[in-house]
Amino acid sequence: MKRFSRGLGMALVAVATTGASAQQRGAATPQPPARPAAQPVLIRNATILTASRGTLENTDIVMRGGKIAAVGPNLAAPAGGRTIDATGKFVIPGIIDAHSHSMADAINEGSYSVTSMVRIADVLDANSPGLYRQLAGGVTTIHILHGSANTIGGQNAIVKIKYGRPLDEMMFPGARPGIKFALGENVKRSNSIVAPGQERRYPATRMGVADVLRDAFTRARDYQTSWNEYRTARTAGRNVLAPRRDLELEPLVEILEGKRDVHAHSYVASEIAMMLQVADEFGFKVKTLQHILEGYKVAPEIAKHGAGASTFADMWGYKLEAYDAIPHNAAIMTRAGVVVSINSDSDERARRLNLDAAKMMKYGDMSEQEALRMITLNPAIQLGIQDRVGSIDVGKDADLSIWNGNPLSVYSRVETTFIDGEVFFDRERDLANRAKLAAERATLEQAEPNRAPGAGSGRGGPGGRMNNPPASPTPESGDRR
Amino acid sequence: MKTHFPRRAAALIASAAVLATPLAAQSRVPDAYAITNARIVPGTGPTLARGTIVIRNGLIAAVGANVAVPADARIVDGSGLTVYPGLIDATSSLALPPAPAAGGRGGGGFGAAPEPAAPSISTLPPGLRPELLVAEMIRPGGEAVTAARNAGLTATLTAPREGIFLGQSVLINLAGETPQDMIVQTPVGMNMAFNSLRSGYPGSLMGVFAALRQVLLDAQRYRDAQGMYARSPVGMRRPAFDPSLAALQPVLARELPVIMYANSYPEIERALNLAQEFNLRAIIAGGMEAQALAPRLKAMNVPVLLTLNLPRRTAAASPDATPEPMAILRARVDAQKTAGALAAAGVRFAFQSGGATNPADMLASARRLMQHGLTADQALRAFTVTPAEIMGVGNRLGTVEAGKIANLTISRGDLFAAEGRVTQVFIDGRQYMVPVQTSTMSDSGDARPAAGSTGAAEGAARGLAAGMWQLTFNLGDRSQAATLTLRQEGERVTGTIRSELGEAPITDGSVGANGNLHFRTSIPMGAQTFEGIFDASIDGAAMTGTVQVEATGAIPFTGRRTPPPSSEPQVGGRIPS
Repeated sequence: MKRFSRGLGMALVAVATTGASAQQRGAATPQPPARPAAQPVLIRNATILTASRGTLENTDIVMRGGKIAAVGPNLAAPAGGRTIDATGKFVIPGIIDAHSHSMADAINEGSYSVTSMVRIADVLDANSPGLYRQLAGGVTTIHILHGSANTIGGQNAIVKIKYGRPLDEMMFPGARPGIKFALGENVKRSNSIVAPGQERRYPATRMGVADVLRDAFTRARDYQTSWNEYRTARTAGRNVLAPRRDLELEPLVEILEGKRDVHAHSYVASEIAMMLQVADEFGFKVKTLQHILEGYKVAPEIAKHGAGASTFADMWGYKLEAYDAIPHNAAIMTRAGVVVSINSDSDERARRLNLDAAKMMKYGDMSEQEALRMITLNPAIQLGIQDRVGSIDVGKDADLSIWNGNPLSVYSRVETTFIDGEVFFDRERDLANRAKLAAERATLEQAEPNRAPGAGSGRGGPGGRMNNPPASPTPESGDRR
Repeated sequence: MKTHFPRRAAALIASAAVLATPLAAQSRVPDAYAITNARIVPGTGPTLARGTIVIRNGLIAAVGANVAVPADARIVDGSGLTVYPGLIDATSSLALPPAPAAGGRGGGGFGAAPEPAAPSISTLPPGLRPELLVAEMIRPGGEAVTAARNAGLTATLTAPREGIFLGQSVLINLAGETPQDMIVQTPVGMNMAFNSLRSGYPGSLMGVFAALRQVLLDAQRYRDAQGMYARSPVGMRRPAFDPSLAALQPVLARELPVIMYANSYPEIERALNLAQEFNLRAIIAGGMEAQALAPRLKAMNVPVLLTLNLPRRTAAASPDATPEPMAILRARVDAQKTAGALAAAGVRFAFQSGGATNPADMLASARRLMQHGLTADQALRAFTVTPAEIMGVGNRLGTVEAGKIANLTISRGDLFAAEGRVTQVFIDGRQYMVPVQTSTMSDSGDARPAAGSTGAAEGAARGLAAGMWQLTFNLGDRSQAATLTLRQEGERVTGTIRSELGEAPITDGSVGANGNLHFRTSIPMGAQTFEGIFDASIDGAAMTGTVQVEATGAIPFTGRRTPPPSSEPQVGGRIPS
């Protein structure tokens, strides 16, 4: 198969992939080309962890037209479809990572304390190799957030990991718009060094963070008013010039009008209370509190506000505001009535979110379903996509994975991952493809542009990693991104 | 003047540094040339196996197999030579003041030339000001322009490389005494790169897109407000003048194309998305991975100014290092196929140097593309008629036709064959000889590292030129001697040249890691000053090269290093880290 440079599996030493040629990718004009519907599939005799209604033993699933068409015992094989014998195997809904920075070529616009005008969707790279690794961990949908450099960060993106497809086919259709907020040490820059000659950016305290929020929403209200007055004047037939469109304030007006969800990075109890207070003052709801390691201290208040919580299973201590953490956090918030998800905040951890969910059974006495929900149905609810994904139910998108054992066991692994009924990871296919990829690598290494310049070539190329040997991988570092 | 002539002529002959003949000194720039007996590839229509080109007053006066040679024309014997339309580098930063030393984040960021000398009333930060006219920044001369000419280039679209709005680019000829002499067309396009600013907003890639979107929205509103005010100013508060938003009006009206710098697949995709969002007339500059987007480029009628700075591995990986990603390995190989793929898909493309340090690599790279699906005809078009058309000067440049600007590239042997060598170029009807180089231009260019590369290459170049050299000029029936004393700091070379005429400092001195030495010197003689342009190749203790004096051909010379050895006199030398 002819492969283009940024094609599938491109950055992995040995991965197999589904196929997408240069021509397919290039056809990514404004309207994605109509793809033939996925071949119908019958998964026979599986143990299904539905995430919505418990575990179904010896049950079949039919996927047709990208949807889950039927779930039940002894289903007929669909015409023109294929059948997978899943005897002894497990099926779970596609895992949803509620906090990711995958495939983003930029994470932070740290210049100002309010950068609501920037959009993560502008800088996604559909060929980021981390995506394929996540598919191999059963992840199908990711919530890609702006970083935590400033109080009001950028607009988020929700993506289905259709690795190998053009970007516009990966964007989750109809997902609710969201935005990243951040509180505490990162935004007041407690832990960053101000370069000589540089001004320290406001705010420098948690009080200042609250002020930045109030100031921004006050400006947004004024902006909203100016547009409302303009619309009134137009309705009255007056020929007036429209107000200047302000890309910073437009998303904040959307928040005020309930059209955009706030996902607020937060750690300590006091700032969580502050965030909820400011939201109440301006009449909007915080959709989720992210990280929220002290959430267990204010769980009833969070539940009362109606915010969700997305936290780590057992990662803490990487800075002062992350010291007062306990592994029972997720369970305590769940018992208080908060919808809780477990997220990765890391391409690496995203590959094994099933294990982070399983830890909740140990630390918080969560049931198998409660634990599984924290990486499936609960993040779906938090992202407002629970009608489409998050559980194995008829009518939902056929996003699921087949495991060789219970997914909440450390000994289990993914065999096949489906999105919209199509295979995007298959372990057997991956293994079978490795020899071919090794051969391709050997050929590529011999190609003139890839030969090491022993014979003495030092021409100045266009720079960047294309002209240099790769640097050592950077270690993961908390939530700084 | 006349009374000084004999003395000046004698001085010229005696001078080792300035070797113009009396005849040349008298008739400094011929008005008319006739290139005879040359093979002519006109870029339009069939190749003439043997023909004549008459050049007069900067224009091509006649082309054909049976064209009469005017009596006053200087004859250039074209036997064994092939004449092509002058090659165009479709994107460069030539003839611009140098950017300040890189700092901040990874050499990205803003901080280079776009900082206007005069304070601006724009409300936008430097780097985000579309009103910047590159034409106002043109600086004639300079070794980079000479090097480009020596590589066979005659014209280029130039703009700074740092910032977001890089400036409204200008097409210049690569010769001329004044900016006005050089400028062919301005503005050609609104050059735009997705670089974050060095400090302040936008400080990230997504900030760049947000800032561009806001500026373009503001420009739309500016248009609407100005239009409303023009129709009926009475009772309406006047909209404030804004030079930045005013400068974007031709862009919004699709009169001025936006030349977007984008090499990778995602970069090109983002550029096209922005162009579509605001209905801009886009041109992609770079386009290294444009292959997979060819159908979309074709559908949107977006041409590509394709980089010839092909990626390649520059250093052996450490045995401990993680193996290079397949994506990188594939991308390096696939970059060679982009031109052929664009041609097959019907996407218009022109070649550009892509920031390469050695302009001579352009032809070598083009030859490499020809091993991967590009025909010689397509390659020539991408160097000549297509860039001219994309820049809207197809009626003036790009082919060898009567009435067009006399920009010609002349080679011995076929330009796109491995043994082809550019011997001279004509620019605005003026002849520029290319110094003879000792090393042949190999197809791969692998035999020698290029000038201007970083790190190891600079280290290798260190001290290459420094020291004292005895030069011998070959004047045919006799020879002349001179002593050259050079100091070297990085690639920069300073020093003096001493001959019977006296001693003069050298200027514009540089030496590349490949041993290519270049400098100038001015010799005052009587009331006039003549300039000598030296180009030489250093190989250990030996040097061979040529000196060009105004309106003469190249005069060859050789040199031998005299003790003390080069590594000693590192005046002010700094060991590159």
